Amino acid sequence: MERPIFKPVGTPSDELDTPSLVVDLDILEENIEIMHGSVREGRARLRPRVDIHCTPAIAHKQLAAGGTVGGITVMTLGQAEVFAQAGFSDILVVNLVVTAPKIARLASLARRTTVTVAVDAERNVGDLSAAATAAGVTLRAVVAISTGPGRFGVGAGQAAVDLARAISGANGVEFAGLMASEGQILEDDPDLLANATRDRLQPILDTREQIEKAGMEVGTVIGGGSYNYEIAAAIDGITEVPTGRYALMDAELAPYLPQFRHAARVNSVVTSRPEDGVAIVDGGRKAIGSDTGMPSVDVPGAVVTSLSAEHGTLVLDAVQPGFGDRVWFTPYDVGECVNLHDYMHVVRNGRLEAVWDIPARGRYR
Amino acid sequence: MDRYRPAVGTPIEELDTPCLIVDLDAVENNYRAVADRYRGKVCQMRQHTKNIKSPTLARMQIRAGGAHDGVCTAKLSEAEVMVEHGITDVLIPNQVVTADKIARLSALQRQGDVKVCIDNEQNVRDLSAIAEAHGVKIGVLIEVDTSMGRAGVRNPEQGAELAKLAESLPGVTFRGVMSHQHLEDFVDTESRILTARQYIQRCLDVKDAIEAEGIPVEIVSSGETFSYDAAADLPGVTEVEGGTYALMGTSYGYMEEFQIANKVLSTIVSTPGPGIAIGDAGLRALSWPSGPPTVEGLPGVMVDSLHAEHAVLRSDGTTAVEVGQQFMLLPWYQDMMVNRWDQYIAVREGVVEDVWDIPARGCVH
Repeated sequence: MERPIFKPVGTPSDELDTPSLVVDLDILEENIEIMHGSVREGRARLRPRVDIHCTPAIAHKQLAAGGTVGGITVMTLGQAEVFAQAGFSDILVVNLVVTAPKIARLASLARRTTVTVAVDAERNVGDLSAAATAAGVTLRAVVAISTGPGRFGVGAGQAAVDLARAISGANGVEFAGLMASEGQILEDDPDLLANATRDRLQPILDTREQIEKAGMEVGTVIGGGSYNYEIAAAIDGITEVPTGRYALMDAELAPYLPQFRHAARVNSVVTSRPEDGVAIVDGGRKAIGSDTGMPSVDVPGAVVTSLSAEHGTLVLDAVQPGFGDRVWFTPYDVGECVNLHDYMHVVRNGRLEAVWDIPARGRYR
Repeated sequence: MDRYRPAVGTPIEELDTPCLIVDLDAVENNYRAVADRYRGKVCQMRQHTKNIKSPTLARMQIRAGGAHDGVCTAKLSEAEVMVEHGITDVLIPNQVVTADKIARLSALQRQGDVKVCIDNEQNVRDLSAIAEAHGVKIGVLIEVDTSMGRAGVRNPEQGAELAKLAESLPGVTFRGVMSHQHLEDFVDTESRILTARQYIQRCLDVKDAIEAEGIPVEIVSSGETFSYDAAADLPGVTEVEGGTYALMGTSYGYMEEFQIANKVLSTIVSTPGPGIAIGDAGLRALSWPSGPPTVEGLPGVMVDSLHAEHAVLRSDGTTAVEVGQQFMLLPWYQDMMVNRWDQYIAVREGVVEDVWDIPARGCVH
């Protein structure tokens, strides 16, 4: 477990132990207001993806901001268990729960929480039904519709209709609707992004019609993300948009979403200046992360040339930062960065306000 | 943090997934290989705990032999974990630079012999002043850059000057020299050993320069997994900082005496299209250390890509892949992967023998 030196509330941000995950509360609240404010007047609602931050303290703020379905989205059953314990009573698990030990956990969770799970195979429906019936609970199931190769889910159209029928006919399982099984589209041309979003979601909306014609009610259609939230939320028929990264933001998404600011950064200290123009810092892959891309650093003219497990290497075009000076990194994928830490140091106006646990980190199971 | 304690005797087929497995036969083989190589030598292993994060595993090498009764740790907080678990001879082959961290290092001297590496005058002056204020002495080694372009003095003259300064200061004790190596491409064992010796020689050159000043050099800590054999018989080297060898990654496959001992047990949760399957462990659980994990247990199946919580697998048809099937994922490089887990499920011949916490996970401070 992470073992920072815990500083008193009121400590200036520049005196916090390094390398730590530091979250600016004003920016976090501003990001939440922008996102949630954008949907308050519309028909679609947000179902925040709390797996990005793994932190109930943030998830509670997201639901309190309004514009949501009153529930959250997670990626694993383990995360669902953590958030249920933290007081959340409506949880969507965007995952397939297929093995006996996991189905038993899911059914147990459904005694205390409204749980919705993704389904993409008829056999899974039978297994879920048997476990739910035995436990005396109802599991809500959404049909996952694959939007591309490498995504779980059934195809749009007849396969989804058949699966919806299987769910509707099973005891202990309730057909809740449809879900796009998708990744983000990173496109900065708004027209191209709008077209790509519609191309992706239209087959799911068509499927909804087919299912309703077949006499089943489709309660919800879930699609989109932070990258296209305005477009997805405006599409007639989309009822829930699972957005997550907007709250903390990161270097990957920033060029596409300039309205949100970076709330999550990692501080670091220069531990060596072995040559002119080179600074070695104490933040590396285990503190910032670089699975999918390099972080940015707040030093003008500096380039993060490499991250090793425990060090970062900066090439500088100036004398600063010197030995012992501090720099701030913005992670490329904030979800990866959060998952490396057990604590979030929360600051406001440049001073420590709280330290939050990250209890859902590491809950892959 | 995940808490998962399957009963001793549970066959792995019954484990909930994903979970991090340590194969006891394999890790014992690896520790024995090092014990055999170093038996009767001056040079001994000082296992690097950044790769294992576990005092339980660290102690297995100490018991197997061929090792100092100590470890090295990447960070100060990792050193604290080892000292708290009774391993009190610790080398931190890294810089500890801020005043509050140095105070923490000073306090730790009362519990153990915790040495640290320096490459700069200001740092050794800070260490001395703060240690003196705490009434302790901190052992210091000169870090030498031999091939990584990271921290470390760049030539013997710098090393000798720094050693002289350390000798003159009241709060530190000069103990020796330390270097890491980075292996470039090599063609065969002979060229690997030659390259390793050339790198380590640069560290020995600094030792010679320091001794020429009349300062005794007690510790020469150098080498790692790829050079552990090259270092064993190199006169002057007193210890090797091997880390990867304990649990291994596929990128070190050329070190044939070591076996892969850490694997993530995973389950197929979806087969959305021909030749495509989705596994339940992804980027968060596995990391992406510039090379993909390897699938074991499903012939003809490879990792195509990783999403946050899922692996996309491609099959050439050799294996009929079905939902619910288990398989293992072997890391390309294991350091970042282990750091994402809170427990090892210790398995022998397919049966759970023990569950070990990973207390130094996340110790980035």
